[in-house]
Amino acid sequence: MTLEFNETLIAFDLQAGDAKEVIDLLAGRMHAQGFVAADYGRQTWEREQHHPTGLPTKPFCIAFPHADAEGVHRSALGVAVMRQPVTFQNMADPDEGLDVSVVFMLANRDPEEQIQTLRNLATLFGQPEKLVELREQSTLLGVASWLRRELRLG
Amino acid sequence: MGKLIVVACGAGINTSTIAEDSIRERIAQEGFADVEVKRILMADIEGYLTRTDLVLIVSMMKIFRTFDVPVIQGMPFLIGSQEEKNVLLNKIVDVVNSK
Repeated sequence: MTLEFNETLIAFDLQAGDAKEVIDLLAGRMHAQGFVAADYGRQTWEREQHHPTGLPTKPFCIAFPHADAEGVHRSALGVAVMRQPVTFQNMADPDEGLDVSVVFMLANRDPEEQIQTLRNLATLFGQPEKLVELREQSTLLGVASWLRRELRLG
Repeated sequence: MGKLIVVACGAGINTSTIAEDSIRERIAQEGFADVEVKRILMADIEGYLTRTDLVLIVSMMKIFRTFDVPVIQGMPFLIGSQEEKNVLLNKIVDVVNSK
């Protein structure tokens, strides 16, 4: 993947009141490093209202919030591993709330690249043991090296 | 006449691409030469329902209505195990063979 990724784009053992807080935090970190426009968090939250991104993966749910490519300067991946789950709505059924434990926030400049990111993530989504491995990392650096290895990030 | 499978998702993220990849791969393995797999937005489905070559709808969204052709819920393509994906692919092959 040509995504940029670094330790400061990971929120580890995050305590947040709701999904919006998680999105704002990750978008804020992306913005601080120049990856996305200042309103990327707001754009992402707005999109989430119409087209939610929660997925009922096993054994815990994940979400992959994102906004359109216009707000992205350089492609990046932000990840939050939650201490307690936050609620995202189910992509397949927006009326259903899901308890999400890991949030993959995408910022892709190019739609084709976004599909590739999603392909790489989807190989993890179908493997419960991999998701457990991610959530059970005990340090932020553990999360970072796990993501680098499993998603072949730079 | 050819056979059309539409893969529908709710928004522009193209989660249907993940399902499309798997279906195309299996279609090629089966040697089906006359099957078209097309990615669409669920909002555009009406335009495809009148097509006489439509044999199957694969939907990444939960479906709240009925159709004249079979519908398969495609979420396992995105989050399911290989076994779950194979179950869906076998169903798709059965539908194509039966038309």
